[in-house]
Amino acid sequence: MILPQFDVLVPETVNEACAMLAEHAEHGVRVLAGGTDLLVNLRRPIITQHVPRCDGCRTHPEGAVSSTIDCTMWESEPLMASGGSLRTLLRDQEKTSPEFLVSLHKLKELKNIRRSDDGGLRIGALTTLAEIQRSPEIRQDYTALAEGTDNLGSPLVRNRGTLGGNIVNARPAADAAVPTIGLGAMLTLHGKSGTRSVPAEGFPTAPGKTIIEPDELLTEIVYPLSPTYSGSAYYKLANRKALEISTVGVAVWVILEKPGGPVADVRVALGAVGPTPILAKSVPAVLIGKVPDKAAIAEAAEAAAGDCRPIDDHRGSAWYRVQMVEVLTGRLLKIAVERAGTTT
Amino acid sequence: MKKIISLTVNGVEHELAVEPRRSLLELLREDLGLTGTHKGCGIGDCGTCTVLVDGVATFSCLTLAIQVEGCSIETVESLAENGRLNELQQAFVDQGAIQCGFCTPGMLMTSTELLRRNPHPQEPEIRRAISGNLCRCTGYQKIVEAIKTVAGENDE
Repeated sequence: MILPQFDVLVPETVNEACAMLAEHAEHGVRVLAGGTDLLVNLRRPIITQHVPRCDGCRTHPEGAVSSTIDCTMWESEPLMASGGSLRTLLRDQEKTSPEFLVSLHKLKELKNIRRSDDGGLRIGALTTLAEIQRSPEIRQDYTALAEGTDNLGSPLVRNRGTLGGNIVNARPAADAAVPTIGLGAMLTLHGKSGTRSVPAEGFPTAPGKTIIEPDELLTEIVYPLSPTYSGSAYYKLANRKALEISTVGVAVWVILEKPGGPVADVRVALGAVGPTPILAKSVPAVLIGKVPDKAAIAEAAEAAAGDCRPIDDHRGSAWYRVQMVEVLTGRLLKIAVERAGTTT
Repeated sequence: MKKIISLTVNGVEHELAVEPRRSLLELLREDLGLTGTHKGCGIGDCGTCTVLVDGVATFSCLTLAIQVEGCSIETVESLAENGRLNELQQAFVDQGAIQCGFCTPGMLMTSTELLRRNPHPQEPEIRRAISGNLCRCTGYQKIVEAIKTVAGENDE
């Protein structure tokens, strides 16, 4: 058996889940939704024990995980960054492996897509990415989100993986989180002491880190009303069409005052070009009030490129990513404007 | 501590005591002896462990047995009818879509889900549907052709 030892708690209600998270916060507890990230991450430390040890590279003392595999990868993993001997690694791992998983599979009330009172859309956090991908309503009114799920992982990942999981995992390249930010969604966090609603762009704070409290559960993702003359789009730039992590992901949402007319509001969200998915904050000032012609779109695309903070890695250089943000933002704005003009 | 769960596998109800960390894959292979479902990468990259959980193609390696309590599971062993390969399996054989056979159970279950959802998919949809299943020997073409054979017959 490859997974570490843990006990699985199965709450029947959201409140019960929050109580379990609070009770076991000190012993190490993780939330299990689809499992496509969590169960992989829990196994990883055990698998890497078999990786040859480093013979002393820039970042690791002798005996750490081999540099020939991917030392930079481990720098982001606190578990492995400690370096040292296999024994140290094993000891650290025991400390960081959760004692409990809270599995949400019985919380069927978090698995739904429905209209909110103001005409927006509320998606339960346990709704799978495949369910989102196949929803005609989402593809029509929240196209960027549907397109975000189109090339996320693989069909099998989308069958299990959930929207809430993709957001809470807080990976910088998360293909469903980026359009969620672009579409101006609010996240509902339910905790022991009540419920709060936070904007999606303020939720992640660093790779894998968010503002969620230990006793809180993301229960719902609430997308605002999609106005009559609005359109959105997402593009994932990646080397393969499946089982790939984005080099750059761009989501745009445009609201026009009338077809072809001035821009009433615009949001551009960027993935894999910063420590979290980010909102390109300088775009609205450049585009709102203007007719979205070629020149205005080019200016907005340049503004988006100025907002991103990418790093160099094996998927692409920082320079390349900045160029791609500009190119893709321009293309997607054009597409979104066209969609805004034809929406009924 | 082990927990008692009940689930239906290929139409047969089972009640089993499982360790919390036991995967559905381990339950199928080790507890029930259904070794048709293969273990590949164990991290959701290869798809050979795919089974249907309430009709949805699912990595059995990344699913805990506890999570499928009360669910209906279908494995590759459920496909044959009266001891004979079903149409899809026969098409895989006829088209040479099986070589080493390692990816085959996953390919069959993933394409079974596809053909139930859409009995006559076009080639691009077939290719997309199996994009989470890795094959290292037939090069996919023959697998796609096998699925197309069945999709074509469904058309008529």
